[in-house]
Amino acid sequence: MDEKHFEELWEQEERQGLQRRLQQEYPAWQQRRRVRRTALASVAVVLVAGFSIFNFHFSTPKSYDSVACNRSGIAEGHWAAEASRILTIETL
Amino acid sequence: MKRLLLILMPLMLLACSHEETELPLYQRYAPRTDLTVAQVKGFQIGDTLKTDVVLLVADDSAAWAELKAEFDIRTSEGVTSWMGDIDEPARRVKRSVRPAWRAMAVHADRTVAFYRIDIEEQRQALLDYQMKTIENKQ
Repeated sequence: MDEKHFEELWEQEERQGLQRRLQQEYPAWQQRRRVRRTALASVAVVLVAGFSIFNFHFSTPKSYDSVACNRSGIAEGHWAAEASRILTIETL
Repeated sequence: MKRLLLILMPLMLLACSHEETELPLYQRYAPRTDLTVAQVKGFQIGDTLKTDVVLLVADDSAAWAELKAEFDIRTSEGVTSWMGDIDEPARRVKRSVRPAWRAMAVHADRTVAFYRIDIEEQRQALLDYQMKTIENKQ
């Protein structure tokens, strides 16, 4: 322990002491602060997820708008590839 | 905060949604258990041109024979193509009729593909698409 180290610990304790006092004296405000921070974090997560989905849908170059099939388990791109391939077969 | 979420959520749902309307030809054949039926909406056939495509794939030779009879396909090999009526694709129509289906039956794949032609540019774009594919292969 030297003087500098003691000063650091003192300031740290002073800050934490102050927070503890705020928590005790204004519990409602502390709760409100926690809710706000959680909400902000949730919005950030939603935005990141939304951006990822948006990016996946619109930045991937596709040769079609949408695909429907009466059987499940067949990749969308397969049918666009088939539509393209059949056009080639006829000419060759 | 709630207001922000109320604005953001519909926007994100809008961004993630896309048109899923089913074409009448697809709807007609989709319930068939002996066929795999698919539709490709907005299939790119040129820089700015798109078309809708419906594909009917027979699951076995019996289903293919039935499909051939249904569309009056009399050949047994290669590719059979025709211009079909938009409501009754089995009925052959003149090349100039619009809208119409450009149908192609591929015997080896037991598949019939229908490309919707609404305007002359789409027919031309389909031909250009074929030519471009061949040029790329050469």
